[in-house]
Amino acid sequence: MSTDVPPHILAEHRRSRLLENTFVVDFDVHINERPSDLVPFCELPWRKALEELEKVPHRYLDIPAFAPNISVWAGAAFSTLERRTIVSSPGQLREDLDLLGVDVGVLFPDNFLMHSLLKPADYAVALARAYNRWLVDVWLSEDRGLIGALLAPNQDPVAAAAEIRRFGDHPRVGCVFLPTCCVDPLYGHRSYDPMYDAAQEFGLPVALHSVQALNPVFPFNLQAFETAFSAHVISHAVSMVANAMSMLETGVPVRFPDLKIVFTESGVTWVPWLGMRLDKEYSERRREVPLLTERPSHYLYGMYFATQPIEEPERMRDMALMMEVFGGENSVVFASDWPHHDFDHPDKVLQIPISDDAKRKVMGGNGARLLGLEVPAR
Amino acid sequence: MSTEYEVGTADSIPPGQHRVVSVGDRQIGIFNVAGAFYALPNACFHQNGPLCRGRVSGTILADAASGHKPEWRLEGEVVICPWHSLEFHIKTGRCLAYSNRKVSVYPVRVHDGMLTVTL
Repeated sequence: MSTDVPPHILAEHRRSRLLENTFVVDFDVHINERPSDLVPFCELPWRKALEELEKVPHRYLDIPAFAPNISVWAGAAFSTLERRTIVSSPGQLREDLDLLGVDVGVLFPDNFLMHSLLKPADYAVALARAYNRWLVDVWLSEDRGLIGALLAPNQDPVAAAAEIRRFGDHPRVGCVFLPTCCVDPLYGHRSYDPMYDAAQEFGLPVALHSVQALNPVFPFNLQAFETAFSAHVISHAVSMVANAMSMLETGVPVRFPDLKIVFTESGVTWVPWLGMRLDKEYSERRREVPLLTERPSHYLYGMYFATQPIEEPERMRDMALMMEVFGGENSVVFASDWPHHDFDHPDKVLQIPISDDAKRKVMGGNGARLLGLEVPAR
Repeated sequence: MSTEYEVGTADSIPPGQHRVVSVGDRQIGIFNVAGAFYALPNACFHQNGPLCRGRVSGTILADAASGHKPEWRLEGEVVICPWHSLEFHIKTGRCLAYSNRKVSVYPVRVHDGMLTVTL
């Protein structure tokens, strides 16, 4: 048997010269939050729940009352992945991002991707508040090229707005994370207006992020499918489609004209499909959405779309054509999703045959603009 | 023009085991599949992940011969890329997910207990 110590899982990839010379903002990186991590940051009585949860068995994205997953598919049993899929400290993450060629990473949680599945509103708010305090205290305490996404508890949008106002001025808080997993109601509902008010006031983009789960809520009622192969597509991309439509039908981009909206972990090819379908519908049903004075695609294509999991057609030029349809050069932001199972290496996204100027925008320029960061000269 | 490189002793890689060796500026995975040696590049065509750092396994296949039911086959003949789990048949380099794609399989010789690979 070999006694070699295996190198870091990212170390043997040789980064392209283009990547070395490009400022990269990664709009989706995951940090691992355990119940015990949040105990010191959580108010009573909810702290007691976290102390108990530390004693129950933990699986990846599957902890009762914390990441309440229901695994009915065999995907987990068939998993072939042996490498580390969590990041536990800022130092570890910085090393990983350096090896990936990423300058700035935007931090999202692991388990709380399912935060929107939690039912008791007070409990959900307490956990979100604990997460945000832990995020700021442990991960954002110094400048490491790590930018935080505040967790907004959708169960209580007024409390979510208070969290945004509490931390909105922090120099390393860059956006607001809207958990999309099984969220009900969808994010166009007017009950969310206080959240959007606060985010707009502080110039923070809202970033929708989903995860696979089974729950009797549109579009997550996935009981029809036998495989995670199918469920995973709907849990991410179709969830973004549903929430984008909801935000458009209530005119969120019209009522909050300075609010930046980012869709993550769903690739980008759903965007031109949805834009074209909405425009077709609008020609007949404009009276239902009178706030929209332009074609719906006008508003949709003004939102932002994170690349991961980037589509990989046999002809990568198909991706350039897709992006041209919706003006993606100015609205697509690179994301790796590191360290999750379906992360993308930046060099893959750089294979899309667009101009070098467009590549720089997608890899870093657009993300920097969203986060209010300067792009350093290279 | 191809060159033959010595990459260690044959008994350092028992059946079922594999290791990654440096050959010049290249990384090559050497696999012992039931006593026969195979060499593959330590680079997956998908996103250039370190393919040969992955685990060796069998896999699940289904076809007309199995009555369209899943079967466990190719035990010990499949390496799984540790980045994104793409599976490759070690003996042929064939990618199981994309039938038109494969990685190179370089010739390996055992001579006086030493392994050589021809690149």
